[in-house]
Amino acid sequence: MTAFLALLRRDLIVSGRHAGPLLLATLTQPVLVVLVFGNILPRLHLVADEFRTVMVPGLMSITMLMAGVQGVLMPLATDLSGSREVDERLLAPISVLGVALEKVVAGAIHAAGAGMVALPAMMLLMHRVTGVEVHPRWELLLPLVVLAGLLSAAFGLTLGTQVQPRFSGLLFAVVLGPLMLFGCAYYPWVGLRVLGAFQYVFLANPLVFMSEAMRMAVTPDVPHMPTPLLLGGLLAFTALFTLLGARSFERKTIL
Amino acid sequence: MTVSPVVAVENLVKTYQGTRKTPPVEAVRGISFSVEPGELFGLLGPNGAGKSTTLGCVTTLIRPTGGRILVDGVDVAKRPIEARRRIAVVPQVRNLDRDLSVREILVYHGRYFGIAAAERERRADRLLAELQIADKAEARPAALSGGMQQRVLIARALMHDPKVLLLDEPTTGLDPQARRLLWGTLEELHGRGLTIILTTHYMEEADRLCDRVAIVDHGRILNLDTPASLKKSLPGGHILDLWARSSVALLPLLERVPGVVRTEAVASDAEDGIERLRLFVDARDGLLDQVLHGVREAGGEVRHVSLTQPSLEDVYIHLTGKELRE
Repeated sequence: MTAFLALLRRDLIVSGRHAGPLLLATLTQPVLVVLVFGNILPRLHLVADEFRTVMVPGLMSITMLMAGVQGVLMPLATDLSGSREVDERLLAPISVLGVALEKVVAGAIHAAGAGMVALPAMMLLMHRVTGVEVHPRWELLLPLVVLAGLLSAAFGLTLGTQVQPRFSGLLFAVVLGPLMLFGCAYYPWVGLRVLGAFQYVFLANPLVFMSEAMRMAVTPDVPHMPTPLLLGGLLAFTALFTLLGARSFERKTIL
Repeated sequence: MTVSPVVAVENLVKTYQGTRKTPPVEAVRGISFSVEPGELFGLLGPNGAGKSTTLGCVTTLIRPTGGRILVDGVDVAKRPIEARRRIAVVPQVRNLDRDLSVREILVYHGRYFGIAAAERERRADRLLAELQIADKAEARPAALSGGMQQRVLIARALMHDPKVLLLDEPTTGLDPQARRLLWGTLEELHGRGLTIILTTHYMEEADRLCDRVAIVDHGRILNLDTPASLKKSLPGGHILDLWARSSVALLPLLERVPGVVRTEAVASDAEDGIERLRLFVDARDGLLDQVLHGVREAGGEVRHVSLTQPSLEDVYIHLTGKELRE
């Protein structure tokens, strides 16, 4: 446990030193999307006014997914690169699983932090430029942000250990891009009833559960998927990706 | 008096599983040795001999296929976390944490091992001074020379007060000056009673530093002894190298010269037909004369002669029949 906390501390302090770029990376997308979809398009009558409220939790979950995945993927690429920085961690008095879990926790803190920075920024901006207000239920939001953060970081561990760093560009285009489009970020899952059985295909996308969780907490007035399904999905995907990620992490590091 | 070894490797086997495109690799095929407290032990061999794999198994970063490794009585495979507290590793690839300063690297390493705050600061200060890197304490690793980084790696390794220090090819890629400095450091640590295991493909390094050397090739130990005994194990005790040209085979002829204990053809240069012959000889009077006479009588021509005390490299060539090259 000592080694786990020491590793976590090291990761957070190093991230803290890059706070500026991290903040920029976190805020650029949600702020610009709010400006375009929350202000310009509604004024051109190209999107419905309700869309402004619907997209806030979705943008938050996308921000968290990106932060969580990148928060694990990038350091992992360094770790597993030719310089093998990971070996120092593996030589610390901690199990290989412990080293992998520390990465997930560090990534989850990134993701949760990103979400909690993006939400107030979007709320403020939304209020200033459009006058639209959202009233999050903070007591629900905090635990759900933690869960969603863990899910995105565990997903990052799976991707980072199974995809070679040179393909990471492809990863963003082919995996993360579609996940975002079909992640119920810009539309509530219950609305997909219009697609018939296809509605359930969306449940294969982990981002759907994150978006719905944020929807439940940030915009309580917009309908969200049944709570047990939502929590079950978050937990199941987190467990699955942690397991897969930790397994391939061990395979990559201990020859 | 029997002391229990710090490191005991018993019948170590490591086979890397093949993939669809590559066959499995038997990197280590049954290596056994033990290292006594305070000993500086060397694994000497060419690249691909299995030395780094052997060391990797001791460090817990490579999972053995068979055999057993005990570090200070702890079974490395069964209790890896306990084993890691007892070992320190200076890897072949310099893997310093590039996001931290030199001082932070040492202090964080101490944190990973649960060393109390005051103690880890004290140790970091002491090691920075001892390894002569105190003036680089605030620098990032990327700003340091290879030799300097190597000293930081050693300082980091010593932070948690290990029972044994493992170094994988510590001087590969260092300039001669940095190499000598590092040798001095290792000699000093050895002098203080630290148990050290290193791998190297430099004969001079093994000869100068090691109490005992295991010569490794193709995943097996060919011979294991003190450098002096290894050299004594060569037949005759002296080596006469002969570069000669001849139309008839010289070796059977020279074998009959009294004082020549054994002969080997080391290499031949096809271009100008010059053969390099190695004679293991005892240093009796008149031997050189007789050998030269023998070659001339066969109608051959001697280009060059060298009579030397055997080095570890000669032992190696004798054991493997090939020269040690990168």
